[in-house]
Amino acid sequence: MDDIVFYTVEITQSIIDGVLFGSTYSLIGIGFTLIFGAMHKLNMTYAAASLAGAYIGLVFFTLFDAPAMLVFLAAIVGSAGIGLIVYYICFRYIPVENHLAALMASVGALFFIDEIVIHATNASPLTFPALFDDVMLELGPFGIRGDLLFVFAVSLISMAALWYLLYRTRLGLATRAVSQQGIAAQLCGIDVHRTNGATFVVAGMLGGVAGSMIGASVGILSPLLTLPITIKGLIVTVIGGLGSIPGAIVAGFLVGALENIFLFVRGVNERDMYIMLLLFVFLVFRPHGIFSRRAERD
Amino acid sequence: MEYYLGIAQTIGIHALLGWSAYVLLLTGQLSLAQVGFFAIGAYVSAILTTMFGFHIVPALMVGALLGGFFAMLVGFPALRVKGLMLVVATIAFTQFVSLFFFNVHWRRDVDGVMAGPDSTQGFREIRFYAANGWDTLDVTLFIWLFVLLVMSGLWWLDRSRAGTVLRAVGADDLAAQSSGINLTVAKVTAMTAGGVIAGLAGGLYAHSATYVDHLTFSVLLATFAIAYPIIGGIHSVLGTLAAVIFIQGILIEGLRFLGDWRNILFGLLIILIMNLKPNGIMDARTMRTIKRMFAGGKSADAK
Repeated sequence: MDDIVFYTVEITQSIIDGVLFGSTYSLIGIGFTLIFGAMHKLNMTYAAASLAGAYIGLVFFTLFDAPAMLVFLAAIVGSAGIGLIVYYICFRYIPVENHLAALMASVGALFFIDEIVIHATNASPLTFPALFDDVMLELGPFGIRGDLLFVFAVSLISMAALWYLLYRTRLGLATRAVSQQGIAAQLCGIDVHRTNGATFVVAGMLGGVAGSMIGASVGILSPLLTLPITIKGLIVTVIGGLGSIPGAIVAGFLVGALENIFLFVRGVNERDMYIMLLLFVFLVFRPHGIFSRRAERD
Repeated sequence: MEYYLGIAQTIGIHALLGWSAYVLLLTGQLSLAQVGFFAIGAYVSAILTTMFGFHIVPALMVGALLGGFFAMLVGFPALRVKGLMLVVATIAFTQFVSLFFFNVHWRRDVDGVMAGPDSTQGFREIRFYAANGWDTLDVTLFIWLFVLLVMSGLWWLDRSRAGTVLRAVGADDLAAQSSGINLTVAKVTAMTAGGVIAGLAGGLYAHSATYVDHLTFSVLLATFAIAYPIIGGIHSVLGTLAAVIFIQGILIEGLRFLGDWRNILFGLLIILIMNLKPNGIMDARTMRTIKRMFAGGKSADAK
């Protein structure tokens, strides 16, 4: 009997931690989805650029001992800047119909950014500042880490800000118009290239939040994070349904929670295997994601 | 000499890997799962030669067939989704295979020595070549025999009805379907063929490296596999080979003196090539120029 209670408590605790950390996966997933929605292209650089943004924030922390909030802001600005650069070098001048070339160019940019980070940090992990990491909320048998709660809150605020931007501003209107019907939007006088560039900047800002929040909750930044975060972000995007923002949010929580459950039940070596299997389950039974009904494919 | 033969082996194996992605790219599908099939071929053929004393040729065949079999299995669910979803699904497959071999521990006593994959320690002592007295030249020739075989096979495919069907699916699958092509059959066939080639390449790789572990079969290698045909262009089977020689021979070996900076340059060069030649370095125009050069050379000889 005690065993069952113990397991229930432990697993619930894992789910709580997982959902809180999963909010960063949601942000990365939203970023992939935003860019996919606007251009129907996959920006493989995205997660690397987000973490690179966090590294830019880290420069301020290491050199000037800046407060954590300033570090996060610098990360957001840095990641937005990288987003814009990536748009110009990988997407702007490659023919629109050539998906492979754009994809490959963004893979090239991924290597490029990753190598610069490795070069600048000698591939060693660096400490990243966190807020409220000494706080621990006690809720009955459960404990909620203050830093994770902060990460969760910041992610929710960013999502709300994104929602406001997309549905309450002219830029958001233009972005949605371009993602629905590029040519029609162009005929209405919307500058498609500028809107796409703006989408990359917005996605980059989200990425900056995600990158610094990942840094804050893990406690360190390392080039080794790039690949797992890229893959988790892509999985979240697909499970949520390509182009669906609510889907990406829920999928982020789902992946975060399941990851922690598998970590608890099967250990760290096998954890990611089950996440990949989850993706295949979704591909077979719900290829259009959690929310979208039979939307157009690809 | 050993050094250059080593590079030739790498180029041959990577060319096979590139071609396995090339077959699928003909149908317009981008798969990062090729490294998963490569890993299956590597482990299976190495297990057969080291643990069960098979000769390398049947071991390679079994590895290749199993690679094809798993490609078919992955192909059916994965090809229901296309394009970018497939990219993600196949990345996940490669990760899955790599993690699977990370967790495999299966050792067997062979003549008093424990042999076999040992999870985190990797799979050591794949010594078929050394045990049978093949030197580096023999191994290189053996690998290039398969390279030439696969290349002429694909060359022939490009000139056959089957190749036309694949390219038709790649150019416009709706139009292809309207003219009576069964899309699923075409795509799954291409996937299976790619899996067979990748499995073969994996077996060759495991035996010439003598050691494999799960880290070898990374998403990075999968990216290389698709980078070759995309950078080389899918206009011709030679494009992939040219890209492999360019990347493995010139960028990686030739620029070794640059040290760390080489990797940074690598990313930049990919971006540059894709901006300047979005259809690959061996696109239709380049191929015409090359043909004209050769034709010009011949007529000059005739005089």
